[in-house]
Amino acid sequence: MKTALILALGCTSAFGAPMSERISADQLRDIRSKESPVASLSQQAENTQTVTRSKGQSLIKQSVIISDGINWTLVPQGAVLHTPEQHTDRINVPPVGNLMSWKEFLALNYSWIASEEISLRQAKGLDTIDSRRTDYWPKQSRVIVAVHRGGPISVSAPKPAPETAQNQ
Amino acid sequence: MKTIAILALTFPAAVQANEWVNFIRQTQVDSGVIWDMPVAPQGSSPSLLTLEDGGALFQLWTINQTEVQDYLLDQRLVGTYLPGAEIRIETGDPYPHVHRTRADQPFTVHVDVSGLLSGPNLPTASQKVLLEHHLATRPGRRAVIDPVLAISETPHSQGLLESNGTHTLTFSASSLPSADPTAAMGEEHFVVHALPDATIPQTQIATNFLQIWPVASGLIQGIASGDVIRNSVPDLTLNLKDLYPSSTTYLQLYKGHSALGTEGQTIDGSVLVIDRDRTVNRTLVIKDWSELIQDDGMHTLELVTITPFGTERLSFVEFMVNRELQVNAHLGSIESSRSNVGGSSE
Repeated sequence: MKTALILALGCTSAFGAPMSERISADQLRDIRSKESPVASLSQQAENTQTVTRSKGQSLIKQSVIISDGINWTLVPQGAVLHTPEQHTDRINVPPVGNLMSWKEFLALNYSWIASEEISLRQAKGLDTIDSRRTDYWPKQSRVIVAVHRGGPISVSAPKPAPETAQNQ
Repeated sequence: MKTIAILALTFPAAVQANEWVNFIRQTQVDSGVIWDMPVAPQGSSPSLLTLEDGGALFQLWTINQTEVQDYLLDQRLVGTYLPGAEIRIETGDPYPHVHRTRADQPFTVHVDVSGLLSGPNLPTASQKVLLEHHLATRPGRRAVIDPVLAISETPHSQGLLESNGTHTLTFSASSLPSADPTAAMGEEHFVVHALPDATIPQTQIATNFLQIWPVASGLIQGIASGDVIRNSVPDLTLNLKDLYPSSTTYLQLYKGHSALGTEGQTIDGSVLVIDRDRTVNRTLVIKDWSELIQDDGMHTLELVTITPFGTERLSFVEFMVNRELQVNAHLGSIESSRSNVGGSSE
């Protein structure tokens, strides 16, 4: 029994420390009565409630849900570039079933979903996606999701080119 | 310019289970482009996205499969022209998965600030950052505290950090509100905000937190101070509450009056080794412990707990052992062929 206790005590780093009484509520109140070290820093002169807080955000609500009926994943809004008619019931659906990372979900569902590598300029809408690609999408049956270096990425609509003398 | 995804993917044990899936989402401030970083369950990796002048907001999310509930574990704004900050927390508990300590224990918060400028005519946002201290009580041991809600309300306290370098703040104990401060349970969150200057959509540039667990308590029942034990020992019941997540608790016996620090004999069946992610309540019944009593006289039973913060006595009971058999005999005449022997042992 003694051996077992020694082994058990060895798991606790304070083994060997002198014993003390459990602290009482009053003793702890005395310790807590000191001013917070944060409050002792210099304070803002004006109202400080202008900092931004994250309350109310939701990754799920800020994403597009893609589901195969059993598994689901999420991608940023604007990442789904093309949805064939036969797969509309798999996009923007309630999140039900087994949640997977994008990489796992893509590997499991490659028969009906594909990724399209997008440059950062294309994602910003500064460059258009090659028309040979966009023209091809309606001719195939897979959902196309924009990715950048393996991660789903939102794509903004291309910004209109500034007017030039030739356009006028 | 590349930036490092500095959101540490190290969660409490509860967040590592398969029912949780993690995402890091990067939002470019200037362009609004949103990118989900491929992430491993643990570790860190560089962001592969170019950091724009306006900066990028990194958010670490986890989603609970069962509840289909998302939690924003951490977020920070990183930018070329923004001040930077890191918050480090030191406690007496070396537990690796999350910072944690006990309600009565001191802890230290180090805030490393960089990128602040000094000089005339500079905007305030480039000269100082705001440190906030938020308190979030835990309604029950198993309750999950949403980290976003924990830092959403008015802070408990706040102050400005006006220079680069490490600012060290030492707290003598938890500040969590509780009628009995030894029973305080919850989390203390620290957030560094860049001061808003109308060009950034988010201001949080660093955050960190620590868990606070109550001080354990324990009672030895079945015997009371002053009791006298004669021919048998009573069954004991140990009522143990809020045993620290990493602790060893046991009942010991020694001869003599109570003396703090005495090493006694550990009673079989009373040793409880806890290695969990939250505190534990237990009730133990101890029977047949009489073999540890060698002599008559005063004895002490002590309930002891060992935590990373030290060894403490939760409670004790002093009692008397008196097993001396008193024989009162009277030898009568032989003719009576009978002797009256009266004995008592209570």
